Amino acid sequence: MSYLAMFHWGWLLGALLLGFVAGWISVVQRGRSVSKVTARWLALLVAALLAAALARVIPGRPGYWLDLGLMLFALYLVGCTIGSWLRHWAVSRPTSAA
Amino acid sequence: MHGLFRWSSKWWPGTIPLAILWGIAAWSNTVPLETDLAARSTTALKDTVLDKTQITVDGRDVNFAADAFSEDGRRNAVAAVEAVPGVRLVNDETRLVPEAKPFVWSAERDVVRVTLGGSAPLPASKSKLVEAAHAALGNVEVADQMNLSRGAPPRFDAAALLLIEQIAKLKDGKITISDNKVSLSGMARELGGREAIATGLKNLPEGFSVAADDIKAPPYVFQAYKDPVAVTLTLTGYVPDDKVHAALVASAGRKFFNEKVVDNLKASVGAAGGFAAAVGPALGALSRLSTGTLVVSDRELKLSGDAFYDAAAVQIRAGLGKDFPQGWQFKADISVKPAAAPVDATVCQQLFSDLLGRGNIRFLPGQAAIDPDSAGLLDRLIETALRCPSANIEIAGHTDADGEDGFNQALSEKRAQAVMDYLVKAGLPADRFTAVGYGSTQPIASNETDEGKAHNRRIEFVVR
Repeated sequence: MSYLAMFHWGWLLGALLLGFVAGWISVVQRGRSVSKVTARWLALLVAALLAAALARVIPGRPGYWLDLGLMLFALYLVGCTIGSWLRHWAVSRPTSAA
Repeated sequence: MHGLFRWSSKWWPGTIPLAILWGIAAWSNTVPLETDLAARSTTALKDTVLDKTQITVDGRDVNFAADAFSEDGRRNAVAAVEAVPGVRLVNDETRLVPEAKPFVWSAERDVVRVTLGGSAPLPASKSKLVEAAHAALGNVEVADQMNLSRGAPPRFDAAALLLIEQIAKLKDGKITISDNKVSLSGMARELGGREAIATGLKNLPEGFSVAADDIKAPPYVFQAYKDPVAVTLTLTGYVPDDKVHAALVASAGRKFFNEKVVDNLKASVGAAGGFAAAVGPALGALSRLSTGTLVVSDRELKLSGDAFYDAAAVQIRAGLGKDFPQGWQFKADISVKPAAAPVDATVCQQLFSDLLGRGNIRFLPGQAAIDPDSAGLLDRLIETALRCPSANIEIAGHTDADGEDGFNQALSEKRAQAVMDYLVKAGLPADRFTAVGYGSTQPIASNETDEGKAHNRRIEFVVR
Protein backbone atom coordinates (compact mmCIF):
# COMPACT_ATOMS: atom_id res chain seq x y z
CA MET A 1 0.00 0.00 0.00
CA SER A 2 2.76 2.39 0.90
CA TYR A 3 4.37 1.61 -2.48
CA LEU A 4 1.14 2.57 -4.27
CA ALA A 5 0.80 5.73 -2.16
CA MET A 6 4.36 6.75 -3.00
CA PHE A 7 3.96 5.92 -6.67
CA HIS A 8 0.68 7.91 -7.04
CA TRP A 9 1.17 10.62 -4.43
CA GLY A 10 0.50 13.44 -6.87
CA TRP A 11 -2.80 12.02 -8.00
CA LEU A 12 -3.85 11.19 -4.47
CA LEU A 13 -3.08 14.74 -3.39
CA GLY A 14 -5.19 15.93 -6.31
CA ALA A 15 -8.08 13.76 -5.13
CA LEU A 16 -7.67 15.09 -1.57
CA LEU A 17 -7.78 18.71 -2.77
CA LEU A 18 -10.72 18.00 -5.02
CA GLY A 19 -12.52 16.46 -2.03
CA PHE A 20 -11.59 19.47 0.10
CA VAL A 21 -13.13 21.83 -2.43
CA ALA A 22 -16.26 19.67 -2.82
CA GLY A 23 -16.64 19.49 0.99
CA TRP A 24 -16.07 23.22 1.37
CA ILE A 25 -18.81 24.01 -1.11
CA SER A 26 -21.26 21.38 0.10
CA VAL A 27 -21.92 23.18 3.44
CA VAL A 28 -23.52 26.19 1.83
CA GLN A 29 -24.71 24.65 -1.40
CA ARG A 30 -28.41 24.61 -2.10
CA GLY A 31 -28.37 22.20 -4.97
CA ARG A 32 -29.80 18.73 -5.29
CA SER A 33 -28.98 16.18 -2.61
CA VAL A 34 -28.57 12.49 -3.04
CA SER A 35 -31.56 10.66 -1.60
CA LYS A 36 -31.02 8.31 1.30
CA VAL A 37 -31.99 5.32 -0.78
CA THR A 38 -29.54 6.23 -3.52
CA ALA A 39 -26.86 6.89 -0.91
CA ARG A 40 -27.35 3.41 0.49
CA TRP A 41 -27.11 1.85 -2.91
CA LEU A 42 -23.99 3.82 -3.61
CA ALA A 43 -22.47 2.76 -0.27
CA LEU A 44 -23.31 -0.81 -1.09
CA LEU A 45 -21.66 -0.47 -4.48
CA VAL A 46 -18.50 0.98 -2.94
CA ALA A 47 -18.46 -1.78 -0.31
CA ALA A 48 -18.80 -4.40 -3.04
CA LEU A 49 -15.97 -2.85 -5.03
CA LEU A 50 -13.85 -2.65 -1.89
CA ALA A 51 -14.55 -6.29 -1.16
CA ALA A 52 -13.62 -7.20 -4.73
CA ALA A 53 -10.38 -5.27 -4.43
CA LEU A 54 -9.46 -6.86 -1.11
CA ALA A 55 -10.33 -10.33 -2.40
CA ARG A 56 -8.22 -9.61 -5.48
CA VAL A 57 -10.80 -11.19 -7.75
CA ILE A 58 -10.42 -8.79 -10.64
CA PRO A 59 -7.26 -9.72 -12.54
CA GLY A 60 -4.64 -7.68 -14.35
CA ARG A 61 -5.02 -4.06 -15.29
CA PRO A 62 -8.71 -3.70 -14.34
CA GLY A 63 -7.75 -4.89 -10.85
CA TYR A 64 -5.08 -2.22 -10.65
CA TRP A 65 -7.45 0.43 -11.94
CA LEU A 66 -10.00 -0.55 -9.29
CA ASP A 67 -7.35 -0.25 -6.57
CA LEU A 68 -6.33 3.12 -7.89
CA GLY A 69 -9.96 4.29 -8.14
CA LEU A 70 -10.75 3.24 -4.59
CA MET A 71 -7.66 4.94 -3.24
CA LEU A 72 -8.53 8.15 -5.05
CA PHE A 73 -12.11 7.87 -3.81
CA ALA A 74 -10.96 7.31 -0.21
CA LEU A 75 -8.73 10.35 -0.37
CA TYR A 76 -11.61 12.31 -1.95
CA LEU A 77 -13.86 11.40 0.98
CA VAL A 78 -11.20 12.42 3.46
CA GLY A 79 -10.82 15.73 1.61
CA CYS A 80 -14.62 16.23 1.62
CA THR A 81 -14.81 15.59 5.35
CA ILE A 82 -12.01 18.02 6.17
CA GLY A 83 -13.43 20.63 3.79
CA SER A 84 -16.92 20.36 5.22
CA TRP A 85 -15.75 20.56 8.82
CA LEU A 86 -13.54 23.52 8.16
CA ARG A 87 -16.27 25.38 6.24
CA HIS A 88 -18.81 24.61 8.90
CA TRP A 89 -16.41 25.87 11.55
CA ALA A 90 -15.70 29.01 9.51
CA VAL A 91 -19.39 29.71 8.86
CA SER A 92 -20.68 28.99 12.37
CA ARG A 93 -18.01 30.91 14.37
CA PRO A 94 -19.27 34.50 13.84
CA THR A 95 -22.77 33.36 14.70
CA SER A 96 -21.70 31.71 17.92
CA ALA A 97 -19.55 34.73 18.77
CA ALA A 98 -22.55 36.98 18.24
CA MET B 1 -22.27 14.14 13.00
CA HIS B 2 -25.69 14.80 11.63
CA GLY B 3 -24.19 17.76 9.74
CA LEU B 4 -21.68 15.47 8.14
CA PHE B 5 -24.42 13.25 6.74
CA ARG B 6 -26.22 16.28 5.46
CA TRP B 7 -23.17 17.69 3.81
CA SER B 8 -22.12 14.36 2.39
CA SER B 9 -25.32 14.18 0.38
CA LYS B 10 -23.93 17.14 -1.53
CA TRP B 11 -20.44 15.77 -2.12
CA TRP B 12 -21.41 13.97 -5.30
CA PRO B 13 -20.64 16.78 -7.81
CA GLY B 14 -16.92 16.38 -7.04
CA THR B 15 -17.03 12.75 -8.14
CA ILE B 16 -17.33 13.81 -11.75
CA PRO B 17 -13.90 15.52 -11.86
CA LEU B 18 -12.67 12.71 -9.61
CA ALA B 19 -13.67 10.16 -12.22
CA ILE B 20 -11.88 12.20 -14.85
CA LEU B 21 -8.83 12.36 -12.58
CA TRP B 22 -9.01 8.60 -12.10
CA GLY B 23 -9.20 8.04 -15.83
CA ILE B 24 -6.18 10.22 -16.53
CA ALA B 25 -4.20 8.66 -13.66
CA ALA B 26 -4.98 5.15 -14.90
CA TRP B 27 -4.12 6.04 -18.49
CA SER B 28 -0.80 7.65 -17.66
CA ASN B 29 0.39 5.39 -14.83
CA THR B 30 -0.37 1.86 -15.96
CA VAL B 31 2.66 1.32 -18.19
CA PRO B 32 5.19 3.07 -15.87
CA LEU B 33 3.85 1.05 -12.92
CA GLU B 34 4.17 -2.20 -14.85
CA THR B 35 7.71 -1.34 -15.98
CA ASP B 36 8.72 -0.45 -12.44
CA LEU B 37 7.30 -3.66 -10.99
CA ALA B 38 9.03 -5.74 -13.68
CA ALA B 39 12.35 -4.08 -12.88
CA ARG B 40 11.89 -4.61 -9.13
CA SER B 41 10.95 -8.27 -9.66
CA THR B 42 14.01 -8.84 -11.83
CA THR B 43 16.21 -7.20 -9.20
CA ALA B 44 14.67 -9.39 -6.51
CA LEU B 45 15.67 -12.49 -8.53
CA LYS B 46 19.22 -11.30 -9.10
CA ASP B 47 20.83 -13.78 -6.71
CA THR B 48 18.57 -16.68 -7.58
CA VAL B 49 19.81 -19.33 -10.04
CA LEU B 50 17.14 -19.79 -12.68
CA ASP B 51 16.95 -20.51 -16.36
CA LYS B 52 14.61 -19.09 -19.00
CA THR B 53 13.26 -16.49 -16.59
CA GLN B 54 10.33 -14.54 -18.04
CA ILE B 55 8.59 -11.77 -16.16
CA THR B 56 5.59 -9.95 -17.59
CA VAL B 57 3.48 -7.58 -15.52
CA ASP B 58 -0.21 -7.01 -16.09
CA GLY B 59 -1.41 -4.20 -13.85
CA ARG B 60 -0.01 -5.21 -10.46
CA ASP B 61 -0.02 -8.93 -11.29
CA VAL B 62 3.27 -10.59 -12.20
CA ASN B 63 3.37 -13.55 -14.58
CA PHE B 64 6.50 -15.36 -13.56
CA ALA B 65 7.85 -18.23 -15.67
CA ALA B 66 11.25 -19.82 -15.04
CA ASP B 67 13.10 -23.11 -14.81
CA ALA B 68 14.51 -23.74 -11.35
CA PHE B 69 17.20 -26.21 -10.38
CA SER B 70 15.72 -27.33 -7.08
CA GLU B 71 12.33 -27.25 -5.38
CA ASP B 72 13.68 -24.95 -2.67
CA GLY B 73 15.14 -22.63 -5.27
CA ARG B 74 11.83 -22.56 -7.09
CA ARG B 75 9.83 -21.71 -3.95
CA ASN B 76 12.31 -19.07 -2.86
CA ALA B 77 12.15 -17.43 -6.27
CA VAL B 78 8.36 -17.23 -6.18
CA ALA B 79 8.47 -15.89 -2.62
CA ALA B 80 11.02 -13.27 -3.64
CA VAL B 81 8.73 -11.97 -6.39
CA GLU B 82 5.69 -12.05 -4.09
CA ALA B 83 7.61 -9.94 -1.57
CA VAL B 84 8.25 -7.14 -4.08
CA PRO B 85 6.33 -4.05 -2.81
CA GLY B 86 3.41 -3.22 -5.08
CA VAL B 87 3.01 -6.72 -6.49
CA ARG B 88 -0.54 -7.90 -5.91
CA LEU B 89 -0.50 -11.45 -7.28
CA VAL B 90 2.13 -13.77 -8.76
CA ASN B 91 1.00 -16.17 -11.44
CA ASP B 92 3.45 -18.93 -10.73
CA GLU B 93 4.42 -20.62 -13.97
CA THR B 94 7.79 -21.83 -12.70
CA ARG B 95 8.87 -25.42 -13.03
CA LEU B 96 11.81 -27.58 -12.22
CA VAL B 97 14.48 -28.21 -14.85
CA PRO B 98 14.02 -31.79 -16.10
CA GLU B 99 16.24 -34.40 -14.53
CA ALA B 100 18.58 -36.25 -16.90
CA LYS B 101 19.07 -39.94 -16.23
CA PRO B 102 21.74 -40.88 -17.08
CA PHE B 103 23.34 -37.45 -16.95
CA VAL B 104 25.21 -37.25 -20.25
CA TRP B 105 27.58 -34.50 -21.34
CA SER B 106 29.75 -34.58 -24.44
CA ALA B 107 32.39 -32.60 -26.27
CA GLU B 108 32.86 -33.49 -29.90
CA ARG B 109 35.63 -32.20 -32.11
CA ASP B 110 35.75 -32.21 -35.87
CA VAL B 111 37.92 -30.32 -38.30
CA VAL B 112 36.42 -26.88 -37.82
CA ARG B 113 34.64 -26.84 -34.51
CA VAL B 114 34.08 -28.22 -31.07
CA THR B 115 30.48 -28.95 -30.14
CA LEU B 116 29.56 -29.09 -26.49
CA GLY B 117 26.38 -31.11 -26.08
CA GLY B 118 24.30 -33.04 -23.59
CA SER B 119 23.46 -31.66 -20.19
CA ALA B 120 25.03 -29.13 -17.89
CA PRO B 121 23.86 -28.75 -14.29
CA LEU B 122 23.68 -24.95 -13.95
CA PRO B 123 23.86 -21.91 -16.22
CA ALA B 124 27.08 -20.88 -14.45
CA SER B 125 28.79 -24.18 -15.17
CA LYS B 126 27.50 -24.09 -18.74
CA SER B 127 29.10 -20.72 -19.38
CA LYS B 128 32.23 -21.79 -17.52
CA LEU B 129 32.59 -24.79 -19.83
CA VAL B 130 32.08 -22.71 -22.96
CA GLU B 131 34.64 -20.21 -21.70
CA ALA B 132 37.12 -22.96 -20.90
CA ALA B 133 36.64 -24.43 -24.38
CA HIS B 134 37.38 -21.05 -25.95
CA ALA B 135 40.48 -20.69 -23.82
CA ALA B 136 41.74 -24.21 -24.51
CA LEU B 137 41.05 -24.23 -28.24
CA GLY B 138 42.16 -20.81 -29.34
CA ASN B 139 40.63 -19.95 -32.67
CA VAL B 140 38.53 -23.09 -33.08
CA GLU B 141 34.81 -22.39 -33.19
CA VAL B 142 32.92 -23.56 -30.11
CA ALA B 143 29.27 -24.53 -30.60
CA ASP B 144 27.23 -24.67 -27.42
CA GLN B 145 24.38 -27.15 -27.66
CA MET B 146 24.19 -27.96 -23.98
CA ASN B 147 20.84 -28.22 -22.19
CA LEU B 148 20.38 -27.62 -18.52
CA SER B 149 19.35 -30.63 -16.48
CA ARG B 150 19.30 -31.78 -12.91
CA GLY B 151 21.00 -34.94 -11.76
CA ALA B 152 24.67 -34.15 -12.40
CA PRO B 153 27.15 -36.29 -10.47
CA PRO B 154 29.18 -34.50 -7.77
CA ARG B 155 32.29 -32.64 -9.02
CA PHE B 156 30.88 -32.67 -12.56
CA ASP B 157 32.33 -29.24 -13.37
CA ALA B 158 35.87 -30.22 -12.46
CA ALA B 159 35.63 -33.40 -14.55
CA ALA B 160 34.20 -31.61 -17.58
CA LEU B 161 36.83 -28.85 -17.38
CA LEU B 162 39.57 -31.46 -17.30
CA LEU B 163 38.08 -33.19 -20.33
CA ILE B 164 37.85 -29.92 -22.25
CA GLU B 165 41.60 -29.62 -21.77
CA GLN B 166 41.95 -33.09 -23.26
CA ILE B 167 39.76 -32.36 -26.30
CA ALA B 168 42.29 -29.69 -27.26
CA LYS B 169 44.78 -32.51 -27.75
CA LEU B 170 42.53 -34.30 -30.24
CA LYS B 171 42.41 -33.76 -33.98
CA ASP B 172 38.93 -35.20 -34.04
CA GLY B 173 36.93 -37.30 -31.65
CA LYS B 174 34.43 -37.29 -28.88
CA ILE B 175 34.58 -37.26 -25.10
CA THR B 176 31.48 -38.23 -23.17
CA ILE B 177 30.58 -38.23 -19.50
CA SER B 178 27.67 -40.52 -18.68
CA ASP B 179 26.90 -40.17 -14.95
CA ASN B 180 30.42 -40.76 -13.68
CA LYS B 181 31.84 -42.81 -16.54
CA VAL B 182 34.10 -41.14 -19.08
CA SER B 183 34.44 -42.42 -22.65
CA LEU B 184 36.92 -41.11 -25.16
CA SER B 185 37.38 -41.82 -28.84
CA GLY B 186 39.12 -40.20 -31.76
CA MET B 187 42.52 -39.33 -33.11
CA ALA B 188 45.19 -37.47 -31.16
CA ARG B 189 46.51 -34.30 -32.73
CA GLU B 190 50.14 -35.19 -32.27
CA LEU B 191 52.35 -38.15 -31.60
CA GLY B 192 52.30 -38.69 -27.87
CA GLY B 193 48.86 -37.08 -27.62
CA ARG B 194 47.34 -40.37 -26.56
CA GLU B 195 49.83 -40.64 -23.71
CA ALA B 196 49.33 -36.99 -22.74
CA ILE B 197 45.57 -37.55 -22.54
CA ALA B 198 46.03 -40.71 -20.49
CA THR B 199 48.21 -38.72 -18.08
CA GLY B 200 45.61 -35.96 -17.91
CA LEU B 201 42.87 -38.45 -17.11
CA LYS B 202 44.70 -39.50 -13.96
CA ASN B 203 43.57 -36.18 -12.47
CA LEU B 204 39.87 -36.95 -12.92
CA PRO B 205 38.00 -35.98 -9.75
CA GLU B 206 37.13 -38.63 -7.23
CA GLY B 207 34.20 -40.81 -8.27
CA PHE B 208 34.82 -40.54 -12.00
CA SER B 209 36.35 -43.38 -13.97
CA VAL B 210 37.31 -44.04 -17.57
CA ALA B 211 34.93 -46.56 -19.14
CA ALA B 212 36.47 -46.57 -22.61
CA ASP B 213 39.59 -44.94 -23.98
CA ASP B 214 39.67 -45.44 -27.75
CA ILE B 215 42.01 -42.58 -28.56
CA LYS B 216 44.27 -43.35 -31.46
CA ALA B 217 47.53 -41.60 -32.19
CA PRO B 218 48.79 -40.72 -35.67
CA PRO B 219 51.18 -43.39 -36.98
CA TYR B 220 54.66 -43.27 -35.50
CA VAL B 221 56.71 -42.90 -38.64
CA PHE B 222 60.43 -43.33 -39.13
CA GLN B 223 61.98 -43.20 -42.60
CA ALA B 224 65.43 -43.77 -43.99
CA TYR B 225 66.27 -43.14 -47.62
CA LYS B 226 69.52 -44.18 -49.20
CA ASP B 227 70.21 -41.99 -52.19
CA PRO B 228 73.03 -43.33 -54.42
CA VAL B 229 73.22 -40.16 -56.51
CA ALA B 230 73.58 -37.66 -53.67
CA VAL B 231 75.45 -40.33 -51.66
CA THR B 232 73.36 -39.59 -48.61
CA LEU B 233 71.30 -41.43 -46.06
CA THR B 234 68.38 -39.26 -45.02
CA LEU B 235 66.69 -40.06 -41.71
CA THR B 236 63.29 -38.47 -41.09
CA GLY B 237 60.43 -38.98 -38.65
CA TYR B 238 60.52 -39.82 -34.98
CA VAL B 239 62.63 -41.66 -32.48
CA PRO B 240 61.60 -42.43 -28.90
CA ASP B 241 64.25 -40.34 -27.13
CA ASP B 242 67.64 -38.67 -27.46
CA LYS B 243 69.51 -41.78 -26.38
CA VAL B 244 67.98 -43.93 -29.12
CA HIS B 245 68.46 -41.02 -31.51
CA ALA B 246 72.21 -40.82 -30.84
CA ALA B 247 72.59 -44.61 -30.98
CA LEU B 248 70.74 -44.83 -34.31
CA VAL B 249 72.74 -42.06 -35.92
CA ALA B 250 76.03 -43.55 -34.69
CA SER B 251 75.03 -46.99 -35.95
CA ALA B 252 74.02 -45.48 -39.32
CA GLY B 253 77.44 -43.82 -39.52
CA ARG B 254 79.12 -47.23 -39.11
CA LYS B 255 76.83 -49.10 -41.48
CA PHE B 256 76.77 -46.52 -44.24
CA PHE B 257 80.51 -46.08 -44.66
CA ASN B 258 80.13 -44.17 -47.89
CA GLU B 259 77.05 -42.05 -47.35
CA LYS B 260 76.67 -38.79 -45.52
CA VAL B 261 74.00 -39.18 -42.85
CA VAL B 262 71.38 -36.41 -43.02
CA ASP B 263 69.66 -36.44 -39.65
CA ASN B 264 66.17 -34.93 -39.61
CA LEU B 265 64.87 -37.04 -36.74
CA LYS B 266 62.78 -35.69 -33.88
CA ALA B 267 62.32 -37.28 -30.50
CA SER B 268 58.76 -38.05 -29.51
CA VAL B 269 56.89 -40.40 -27.24
CA GLY B 270 54.44 -42.90 -28.72
CA ALA B 271 56.84 -45.38 -30.33
CA ALA B 272 55.85 -49.02 -30.39
CA GLY B 273 57.75 -51.27 -27.99
CA GLY B 274 60.98 -52.67 -29.44
CA PHE B 275 61.46 -49.72 -31.77
CA ALA B 276 65.26 -49.64 -31.47
CA ALA B 277 65.56 -53.42 -31.69
CA ALA B 278 63.60 -53.46 -34.96
CA VAL B 279 64.99 -50.34 -36.61
CA GLY B 280 68.67 -51.17 -35.93
CA PRO B 281 68.76 -54.40 -37.99
CA ALA B 282 66.51 -52.84 -40.62
CA LEU B 283 69.03 -50.03 -41.10
CA GLY B 284 71.68 -52.74 -41.50
CA ALA B 285 69.59 -54.31 -44.25
CA LEU B 286 69.13 -50.94 -45.92
CA SER B 287 72.90 -50.44 -45.88
CA ARG B 288 73.19 -53.54 -48.08
CA LEU B 289 71.02 -51.99 -50.82
CA SER B 290 72.40 -49.87 -53.61
CA THR B 291 69.33 -47.66 -53.34
CA GLY B 292 66.46 -48.14 -50.99
CA THR B 293 63.89 -46.85 -48.58
CA LEU B 294 63.02 -48.00 -45.10
CA VAL B 295 59.61 -46.92 -43.79
CA VAL B 296 58.56 -47.73 -40.24
CA SER B 297 54.94 -46.98 -39.36
CA ASP B 298 53.97 -48.02 -35.84
CA ARG B 299 54.82 -51.75 -35.82
CA GLU B 300 55.01 -52.15 -39.55
CA LEU B 301 58.33 -52.01 -41.29
CA LYS B 302 58.71 -51.83 -45.04
CA LEU B 303 62.01 -52.11 -46.82
CA SER B 304 62.28 -51.63 -50.56
CA GLY B 305 65.19 -51.21 -52.92
CA ASP B 306 67.85 -52.95 -54.99
CA ALA B 307 70.37 -55.43 -53.63
CA PHE B 308 73.79 -55.65 -55.25
CA TYR B 309 73.49 -59.31 -56.23
CA ASP B 310 71.03 -62.21 -56.01
CA ALA B 311 72.40 -63.91 -52.90
CA ALA B 312 72.32 -60.60 -51.00
CA ALA B 313 68.64 -60.14 -51.88
CA VAL B 314 67.86 -63.62 -50.55
CA GLN B 315 69.90 -63.04 -47.38
CA ILE B 316 68.20 -59.70 -46.69
CA ARG B 317 64.71 -61.14 -47.20
CA ALA B 318 65.41 -64.11 -45.01
CA GLY B 319 67.53 -62.44 -42.35
CA LEU B 320 65.65 -59.36 -41.40
CA GLY B 321 62.43 -60.72 -39.92
CA LYS B 322 64.29 -63.17 -37.69
CA ASP B 323 65.51 -60.87 -34.95
CA PHE B 324 62.38 -58.79 -34.81
CA PRO B 325 60.63 -57.99 -31.54
CA GLN B 326 57.24 -59.60 -31.13
CA GLY B 327 54.28 -57.97 -32.82
CA TRP B 328 56.30 -56.29 -35.53
CA GLN B 329 55.54 -56.91 -39.16
CA PHE B 330 58.08 -56.87 -41.89
CA LYS B 331 57.55 -56.40 -45.58
CA ALA B 332 60.48 -56.54 -47.97
CA ASP B 333 60.28 -55.51 -51.57
CA ILE B 334 63.83 -56.23 -52.68
CA SER B 335 64.87 -56.49 -56.27
CA VAL B 336 68.36 -56.92 -57.62
CA LYS B 337 70.29 -54.15 -59.25
CA PRO B 338 71.17 -54.95 -62.90
CA ALA B 339 74.71 -56.30 -63.06
CA ALA B 340 77.30 -53.68 -63.88
CA ALA B 341 79.48 -54.09 -66.97
CA PRO B 342 82.57 -56.32 -66.53
CA VAL B 343 85.90 -54.55 -66.06
CA ASP B 344 89.51 -55.64 -66.44
CA ALA B 345 91.83 -56.46 -63.59
CA THR B 346 93.35 -52.96 -63.32
CA VAL B 347 90.01 -51.24 -62.98
CA CYS B 348 88.92 -53.95 -60.59
CA GLN B 349 91.91 -53.22 -58.35
CA GLN B 350 91.13 -49.52 -58.51
CA LEU B 351 87.54 -50.14 -57.48
CA PHE B 352 88.65 -52.33 -54.53
CA SER B 353 91.19 -49.75 -53.36
CA ASP B 354 88.64 -47.00 -53.71
CA LEU B 355 86.04 -48.88 -51.64
CA LEU B 356 88.48 -49.90 -48.93
CA GLY B 357 89.88 -46.39 -48.88
CA ARG B 358 86.48 -45.10 -47.85
CA GLY B 359 85.66 -47.76 -45.28
CA ASN B 360 87.31 -50.60 -43.41
CA ILE B 361 85.92 -54.06 -42.90
CA ARG B 362 85.27 -54.14 -39.16
CA PHE B 363 85.72 -57.08 -36.85
CA LEU B 364 84.64 -57.70 -33.30
CA PRO B 365 87.50 -56.50 -31.03
CA GLY B 366 90.33 -59.06 -30.81
CA GLN B 367 88.34 -61.60 -32.85
CA ALA B 368 88.06 -62.75 -36.42
CA ALA B 369 84.26 -62.44 -36.57
CA ILE B 370 83.10 -59.79 -39.02
CA ASP B 371 81.09 -56.95 -37.49
CA PRO B 372 77.57 -57.06 -39.04
CA ASP B 373 77.90 -53.30 -39.61
CA SER B 374 80.34 -54.06 -42.45
CA ALA B 375 77.77 -56.01 -44.49
CA GLY B 376 77.16 -53.03 -46.77
CA LEU B 377 80.83 -52.64 -47.59
CA LEU B 378 81.26 -56.38 -48.15
CA ASP B 379 78.31 -56.39 -50.58
CA ARG B 380 79.99 -53.63 -52.58
CA LEU B 381 83.26 -55.61 -52.60
CA ILE B 382 81.42 -58.75 -53.77
CA GLU B 383 79.67 -56.78 -56.51
CA THR B 384 83.06 -55.53 -57.67
CA ALA B 385 84.57 -59.05 -57.58
CA LEU B 386 81.65 -60.21 -59.74
CA ARG B 387 82.60 -57.61 -62.35
CA CYS B 388 86.05 -59.13 -62.91
CA PRO B 389 85.35 -62.86 -63.03
CA SER B 390 88.75 -63.74 -64.43
CA ALA B 391 90.85 -61.96 -61.83
CA ASN B 392 92.40 -63.79 -58.90
CA ILE B 393 92.32 -61.86 -55.70
CA GLU B 394 94.49 -61.95 -52.65
CA ILE B 395 92.69 -61.01 -49.45
CA ALA B 396 95.36 -59.58 -47.19
CA GLY B 397 94.87 -59.14 -43.44
CA HIS B 398 96.86 -56.61 -41.41
CA THR B 399 96.91 -55.66 -37.74
CA ASP B 400 98.40 -52.84 -35.70
CA ALA B 401 101.55 -53.38 -33.65
CA ASP B 402 99.72 -53.83 -30.31
CA GLY B 403 100.14 -57.29 -28.77
CA GLU B 404 102.40 -60.15 -29.66
CA ASP B 405 103.50 -60.70 -33.22
CA GLY B 406 102.39 -64.34 -33.23
CA PHE B 407 98.89 -63.39 -32.08
CA ASN B 408 98.71 -60.58 -34.62
CA GLN B 409 99.88 -62.88 -37.38
CA ALA B 410 97.28 -65.49 -36.53
CA LEU B 411 94.53 -62.85 -36.14
CA SER B 412 95.35 -61.29 -39.50
CA GLU B 413 95.20 -64.69 -41.16
CA LYS B 414 91.91 -65.58 -39.50
CA ARG B 415 90.37 -62.26 -40.42
CA ALA B 416 91.46 -62.58 -44.06
CA GLN B 417 90.01 -66.08 -44.07
CA ALA B 418 86.75 -64.86 -42.54
CA VAL B 419 86.39 -62.33 -45.34
CA MET B 420 87.16 -64.98 -47.93
CA ASP B 421 84.55 -67.30 -46.40
CA TYR B 422 82.03 -64.49 -46.54
CA LEU B 423 82.72 -64.01 -50.26
CA VAL B 424 82.48 -67.71 -50.99
CA LYS B 425 79.23 -67.91 -49.07
CA ALA B 426 77.90 -65.14 -51.29
CA GLY B 427 78.49 -67.40 -54.32
CA LEU B 428 81.96 -66.47 -55.51
CA PRO B 429 84.24 -69.35 -56.50
CA ALA B 430 86.73 -70.13 -53.72
CA ASP B 431 89.60 -70.79 -56.17
CA ARG B 432 89.73 -67.11 -57.18
CA PHE B 433 90.75 -66.03 -53.68
CA THR B 434 93.68 -66.54 -51.40
CA ALA B 435 93.60 -65.37 -47.82
CA VAL B 436 96.94 -64.12 -46.50
CA GLY B 437 97.81 -62.68 -43.08
CA TYR B 438 100.66 -60.19 -42.66
CA GLY B 439 100.31 -59.44 -38.98
CA SER B 440 101.73 -56.02 -38.19
CA THR B 441 104.59 -56.25 -40.68
CA GLN B 442 103.20 -53.85 -43.29
CA PRO B 443 101.95 -50.75 -41.49
CA ILE B 444 100.63 -47.89 -43.62
CA ALA B 445 100.55 -45.41 -40.74
CA SER B 446 102.27 -44.80 -37.44
CA ASN B 447 101.59 -47.33 -34.71
CA GLU B 448 102.18 -44.60 -32.13
CA THR B 449 98.76 -43.02 -32.40
CA ASP B 450 95.27 -44.50 -32.11
CA GLU B 451 94.38 -43.05 -35.49
CA GLY B 452 97.43 -44.63 -37.09
CA LYS B 453 96.67 -47.98 -35.47
CA ALA B 454 93.13 -47.87 -36.77
CA HIS B 455 94.48 -47.37 -40.29
CA ASN B 456 96.86 -50.27 -39.86
CA ARG B 457 94.10 -52.68 -38.82
CA ARG B 458 92.79 -53.41 -42.30
CA ILE B 459 91.89 -55.89 -45.02
CA GLU B 460 93.23 -55.26 -48.51
CA PHE B 461 92.10 -56.77 -51.80
CA VAL B 462 94.98 -57.27 -54.19
CA VAL B 463 94.23 -58.34 -57.77
CA ARG B 464 96.91 -60.75 -59.06
